Amino acid sequence: MHSLWSLFCAGLLLVPQLCAAAAPQRVMSLNLCADQLLLALLPEQRIASLSWLSQTEGDPYWLTTAQRLPANHGTAEEVLAMHPDLVIAGAYTTGATRRLLARAGTPLLVLPPAQDWAGIRVVTRQVAAAVGESARGEQLLAQMDETLLQLQQHASGSPLRVIAWSGSGTDVPGRDTLFDAILTAAGAVNVGAAVAGRADFDLERLLQLRPQVLLRGAAYAATPSLRGEAVNHRVIRKLYAGAQLTYPEAVYGCGVPRAAQMALQLRQQLSAVRSLRSLP
Amino acid sequence: MSVSPRKRVVLAIAVLLALVMVSLLVGRVALPSNTLFTLWRSDADPLAVLIITELRLPRTVLALLVGAALGLSGAVLQGLTRNPLAEPGLLGVSSGAALGAVIAIHTGLSLVWPLATPLLGLAGAFGAALLTLTLGRGEGVLVLILAGAAVSGVMFAGTALALNLAPNPYAAYEISMWLMGSLADRSWDHVLLVAPFLVAGLLVLGGTGRALDALSLGEQQATSLGINLRSLRLQVLLGTALAVGAATAVAGAIGFIGLLAPHWVRPWVGHEPRRVLWPATVAGAALLLAADIGTRLLPFAQELKLGVLTVLVGTPFFVSLLLRLRRSAP
Amino acid sequence: MSLLQAQDVCLSLSARPVLQAVSVSAQGGEFIAVIGPNGAGKSTLLTVLAGLLAPDSGTVHLDAKPLAAYAPRDLARQRAYLPQNPRCDWPLPVERVVALGLTPGLPAFGGFPPADQLRIDAALQACDLQSRRQQPATTLSGGELARTMLARALVGDPAVLIVDEPIAGLDPRHALEAMRRLARLARDEQRLVIAAVHDLTLAMRYATRLWALRDGRLLADGPPATTLTAELLRELFDVAACVSGEGGSAYVDYV
Repeated sequence: MHSLWSLFCAGLLLVPQLCAAAAPQRVMSLNLCADQLLLALLPEQRIASLSWLSQTEGDPYWLTTAQRLPANHGTAEEVLAMHPDLVIAGAYTTGATRRLLARAGTPLLVLPPAQDWAGIRVVTRQVAAAVGESARGEQLLAQMDETLLQLQQHASGSPLRVIAWSGSGTDVPGRDTLFDAILTAAGAVNVGAAVAGRADFDLERLLQLRPQVLLRGAAYAATPSLRGEAVNHRVIRKLYAGAQLTYPEAVYGCGVPRAAQMALQLRQQLSAVRSLRSLP
Repeated sequence: MSVSPRKRVVLAIAVLLALVMVSLLVGRVALPSNTLFTLWRSDADPLAVLIITELRLPRTVLALLVGAALGLSGAVLQGLTRNPLAEPGLLGVSSGAALGAVIAIHTGLSLVWPLATPLLGLAGAFGAALLTLTLGRGEGVLVLILAGAAVSGVMFAGTALALNLAPNPYAAYEISMWLMGSLADRSWDHVLLVAPFLVAGLLVLGGTGRALDALSLGEQQATSLGINLRSLRLQVLLGTALAVGAATAVAGAIGFIGLLAPHWVRPWVGHEPRRVLWPATVAGAALLLAADIGTRLLPFAQELKLGVLTVLVGTPFFVSLLLRLRRSAP
Repeated sequence: MSLLQAQDVCLSLSARPVLQAVSVSAQGGEFIAVIGPNGAGKSTLLTVLAGLLAPDSGTVHLDAKPLAAYAPRDLARQRAYLPQNPRCDWPLPVERVVALGLTPGLPAFGGFPPADQLRIDAALQACDLQSRRQQPATTLSGGELARTMLARALVGDPAVLIVDEPIAGLDPRHALEAMRRLARLARDEQRLVIAAVHDLTLAMRYATRLWALRDGRLLADGPPATTLTAELLRELFDVAACVSGEGGSAYVDYV
């Protein structure tokens, strides 16, 4: 516990005064993953603003709540106009805004990415402490661990070969990703690990990997795109009729406790596919 | 030049066949070279059969069709404008087709109705060609080319606007990749969708030979020889919009094939526009298929986009052509 | 023997009257030189007579049939037209350029009938081009190019030949030669030849008739010997000139 506490303060080096200050009442998030953590940790009235992505691409579970709250596009002007007590941003985006805020002295927490269950625990505790809701954070993590334990105990049959694929040229998540962790927890094998990060990955290679189920990103599936056309290739239609699932990439890519819930859902979907269809 | 016409035909067929074989054998998944001859045996590897019949064969057919469309329309447009630097992109036809296709894809129309992509692509191509011919009417080649540049600009702006308004957050990235041109992961659906338009366009363009020949004496002499220039322009417009519109709708914008193919065959068949047409068609098909094979063979982690490769290879040729023209011009 | 008749032809280009009530008539065997200052409407008259431009009012008949009633290909078989400074935009061999004159008689696809090859050979010979057969037209000298274009016009055996400034830019020898050739075509082969000519001496020596145009009106129409007078030249060009000699040794001089 002590080591975690020091880790948390290290993460907050940018805003040392926070460790002592009272819990912030107007928290603003510039990042889709932070959006979801805040939605889980805080009552609505303490969230000043969420990133615009959470109104369309976020966890479907939180969508209606997110749409009620003010959205921002991650610009410094929006932040300054809001006068938030705390701003949470991602490590890879809104760089210019982050630099400006640091100079303006706005309290800022930079959210590190999480790549496994341990990472989720770290990130959740960090944010929970920053917003003064450590107890709520622990509660969420306990639920997560319980779900994971439940998944482990009811491991079923031989694992299905699964790949996340939204069309050629899209990201295929591989090993050491949260997606991989969720898939494994759901009792499946990520055959995409072999080709992860390879932009030359095309239909030929996909067929060669012989996945049994295709997972499509929900954002790709929901709106028309060229990738959508590639996924509708007649080979795919023929071989993977009834073996294609959509998944909310936003949750699979974010270090949030609800990831365990996602694993549970995925396992249910996979077993539905397995029972419906004799898989290749 | 000493090769007789019959031998030339045999040679062209041999080259095309060889390219088709290579195209069927080359891809991200390595297949043993005897695969082609064991495809119909019962013990054939089902993966290999699937890859060749459902992925590589339609891709190869599309490469030939698209290349033929670009080569022929390039030859016809060079004949019509009597300018060796003319190509389908010059009239704004490609960018018009791209705009139509982008609208079809990103409004979701193509999901509801698969014909939307080629049809809107064609509509865009027609609109652009019509606009170019109206703006650049009658005043000779330079005005036509300038009008084409203006129309291309408008079409590109329209494409950017369509992307701005697209509901999909990845649209801008996707379409900028798509505009580079590619035949990756195309299916028989695509072939069936565009082949009728494309072949119709080829036939319309193929009938312009005599008129283009006469036109090499200038518009007045051509008219005096009984050529109806207005209907010729309309025929070229219709054929180019059909062939190039369909090609662009399925493969994205691919530059330089239409420019290169006619020049490539002229040393063999001479400069008469009519005699350039069909050889340029075959040359366009062969060049594009070779380029597509090139994108699969070149050892880059990211598959090289077809349009990028044709431009990379085409530019040095273009420059040498410019230099030669400058030398021969007074 | 063909007969070309224009009756009260009026034509405006960009709201400017170019031809005003021009009536002319000519028949096979005549070599007509159209003379007049720049901008008099000579080229426009030739394009109207060739059927390339329809007049605003008035009619043009070829063999008693209005030009507008001819199918373009039928008209092309009977009359040939060469614009000013005709050129070929592609480096085609001379032989192929000449062959283009056969376009109106050819099917849309396929090669040349063997009989056509004979006509091409004859046209090449008539214009002294046998040695240039395979030379790209873009590399020819001015005189050679003019002969090539004339061969192109003659290969279809037209009854009417309309040529806009056939000797512009030619040196004296080639100019003489070209005029002689046109005169022969009219005299020996009974064709109707109409040519716009600026060289009045040559026009006087070789043409059988002159049409003098100024500001879109026909000022004179008749044989050179009686028509081309100092008064007409003053009226046409606003220059003082004297006309001396007659027939093959006539000449026009300016003072």
